[in-house]
Amino acid sequence: MSDTTMARPTDRFRIDAQFFGLAAFYLALVVIFSLATPNFMSWSNGVNVLSNVTVLGIVALGQTLAIVSGGFDLSVSGTLPLGAVAYVLLANAAVPIPAAIVLVLALGMVVGVVNGILVNRIGISPLIATLGTLSVTGGLALTLSRGVTIPMTNFDAGFLSEFAFGRVSWYVLVLVVLCILVHVLMRYTILGRMIYAVGGNADASRLAGIRVEAVSVTVYTVCAMLAAFAGVVVSSQLLVGSANVGANVALNSVAAVILGGASLLGGVGTIGGTLVGVLILGTIANGMALMMVPSFYQQMANGAILLLAVGLGRLREKRAGR
Amino acid sequence: MDEALAMQAAAPVRLLFEAQGLIKSYGPNRILMDVDFTLAPGESVALIGENGAGKSTFAKIITGVIRPDEGKLAFDGRDVVFNAPRDALAAGLAFIPQELAYVPNLTVAENIVLGQWPGRSGLTTPSAIRARAGAVCQHYGIHFDLDSPMRLLKLAERQLVEIVKALLRDARMIVLDEPTAALNEQESTALFSILKRLNGQGVGVLYISHRMDEVYRFSDRVDVLRNGRRVASVPPQRTTPSQLIAHMLGQEKEEFARGDQPRSGVAALALRGWKSGGLPALEDVSLDVQAGEIVGLYGVRGSGADVIAEGLAGLNGDVVGEIEIGGKVRRTFGSPYEARAAGIAYVPAERKRDGLVLGLPIRRNITLMMLRSLSRFGVMDGAAERALTDDLVRRFDVRYRGADQPVERLSGGNQQKVLLASRIATKPRYLVLHEPTRGVDVGARVEIHRLLAGVADDGCATLMVTSDVEEAVTVPDRLIVIRDGRIAGELAGAAMTQANAISLATES
Ligand SMILES: Nc1ncnc2c1ncn2[C@@H]1O[C@H](COP(=O)(O)OP(=O)(O)OP(=O)(O)O)[C@@H](O)[C@H]1O
Ligand SMILES: [Mg+2]
Repeated sequence: MSDTTMARPTDRFRIDAQFFGLAAFYLALVVIFSLATPNFMSWSNGVNVLSNVTVLGIVALGQTLAIVSGGFDLSVSGTLPLGAVAYVLLANAAVPIPAAIVLVLALGMVVGVVNGILVNRIGISPLIATLGTLSVTGGLALTLSRGVTIPMTNFDAGFLSEFAFGRVSWYVLVLVVLCILVHVLMRYTILGRMIYAVGGNADASRLAGIRVEAVSVTVYTVCAMLAAFAGVVVSSQLLVGSANVGANVALNSVAAVILGGASLLGGVGTIGGTLVGVLILGTIANGMALMMVPSFYQQMANGAILLLAVGLGRLREKRAGR
Repeated sequence: MDEALAMQAAAPVRLLFEAQGLIKSYGPNRILMDVDFTLAPGESVALIGENGAGKSTFAKIITGVIRPDEGKLAFDGRDVVFNAPRDALAAGLAFIPQELAYVPNLTVAENIVLGQWPGRSGLTTPSAIRARAGAVCQHYGIHFDLDSPMRLLKLAERQLVEIVKALLRDARMIVLDEPTAALNEQESTALFSILKRLNGQGVGVLYISHRMDEVYRFSDRVDVLRNGRRVASVPPQRTTPSQLIAHMLGQEKEEFARGDQPRSGVAALALRGWKSGGLPALEDVSLDVQAGEIVGLYGVRGSGADVIAEGLAGLNGDVVGEIEIGGKVRRTFGSPYEARAAGIAYVPAERKRDGLVLGLPIRRNITLMMLRSLSRFGVMDGAAERALTDDLVRRFDVRYRGADQPVERLSGGNQQKVLLASRIATKPRYLVLHEPTRGVDVGARVEIHRLLAGVADDGCATLMVTSDVEEAVTVPDRLIVIRDGRIAGELAGAAMTQANAISLATES
């Protein structure tokens, strides 16, 4: 086999090509908006975009784990408002803020474990299982808040919205830190490897001695905890607890993850890709708002871009395979 | 009279199929270089070559699955361009791929008639489907449970369904990519007698094979591919197996022979009184493997050899009995995790379904089972991982094209090498191999046998479950033959011959 490459096999994923394509697309988007509106390309607007995508970003991190592991989590749209309402109720009841956050995370953990058990032990498909828990958690949030918006009386609970430096809020920093943590988790840890393996081929992973169910339950748990924490961030931003936040976050997070190059079949996807996906959605919203485009056009633009990006990726893959 | 005969002989044979100057590259890699090929009606041609030589790529090109960069195809004397497999099918050219494509949740009958539903104006009924499928099966004397879902079938049965599927389409030329890789002797013989019958009716057959005996028994001509070039095209009677192998490898094949090894006499791994329900039912099977020993387990399909392999992998919950492993006695494994935790490395028979994560690169597949030992505090040690995989890729001589190549784009035989490497990587003390060289070329096969012998020499207790009789009698130190769920006998030394193994496995 004289013509066989004997370079070493590497770990680089084929997703890289799509990632760079997407990043280029994002830059193009930035250029277009900068030309179209003078205010777009400014430090303060950059911070603005980041602030606006924080909640979606945090949820999308968890969604990436779920999707790469071969699953799916719609219940984030219920867990998030549940976390938001619970956080404000706890804070208003004079529970110390750190304890309130821990309790909210614990709540998220419960939801995640339930999701994990429904999917893995009972064998309900992720779509149905998390659709069910979405209703339950969303309903719970409404019940706890009695259907009304609860003002935050303990303003310390909004600390995440204070500026860490310049006009950058703490929650933006939290997003950055979480991104790095989850990226490291996916890329450099055993758990990360297992998530890719389980999503890519659950049977083979099981035979390789990986506890597939345990991995999946862990993933759903982390995903739900991140969603609950996103609820804390929303409450800090709005200074209220409401069961009506986060309705779009389930579909938008899935869109961001898929835009970032993941496959709903599992086994592929990266945090870097998801981040770009989130930024694209956030930037479109921001740029269109600056251009005073009505928000329903933005929804159409999101959909068109998702289809375009994924469609182009698939076409290229097909061409490469021929 | 004589003159007429001479005239006839001189007249060019009408060709059923012809390919000229096929060229195909993936990126910078030339996979096929100027390959020519012809097939006459009723002719049976075997295509052989090393793993990665381009055989499957060639088969896919002539059947419209992928398109050549350059080259011409002619079917029945007319130039054709196949843009998709359905074009080829419409012309009368059926392809049975190496990796079967079927709908797991549909029944056997529904899979057979897939795309060819009987009925009119878009309406069809389950009974018509069953009748149509039943008729073809009847006609060719192949029997299935037509109502069972495809996913419940054994691999060999699914393969046969694919073949029936092509037969239903009145194909005039059938291309089969390693059709017999997963079949045993009787099944292969049955398949080839069907193909011979089709040859008699003018159907051309091209099949890819790694088995020399088949090439000699069933083909009118054998073509050899090496590194994407056709290096030989001869009737098998005019050449010898070793000449053919020399064409394939570019050198002479070395023979595998395992010398006698000193043994401790103490069982490292033992099964005691294994029983199982279902078909085939195991009835009180006991056997043991010593450290450093390779024990073969041979049986025809349905003999129970598969059940034993699956039981040792923790895949079959029906098996009851005891396992003695590393001096401890325990019940059979309840899950693959338990088997793995007990120290067993299992090489599954179906690499794509049970062995590999196809979307991931070679390295990640190789280290799948040893994430823990390659990490500290849960974080992977990249350098150690690279060192280990580079070493294994070299030892197993995995042939790959691009550094990022996901395992799914490796040739079949090279996928098998990656699978084996992933199990050997763990330095197992107990190794259970289930069809370890399926789809591996003759050269690489000897190489793998040698590697397995080396692993055993390092003290690994190896149980090799195989339906390949040649492998069964050359690699193991002793061979246990299983029939109808019982141990039919044990062969060792000079008695370990193919004839003895087959007669033990089949006589009743
Ligand atoms: N889609 C693809 N992209 C890139 N390279 C490919 C692709 N498919 C196959 N190859 C490469 O083409 C070469 C030939 O592969 P092919 O599957 O034709 O081999 P083969 O002769 O059938 O081998 P085997 O006996 O192992 O099945 C291999 O080196 C393989 O890595
Ligand atoms: Mg092949």
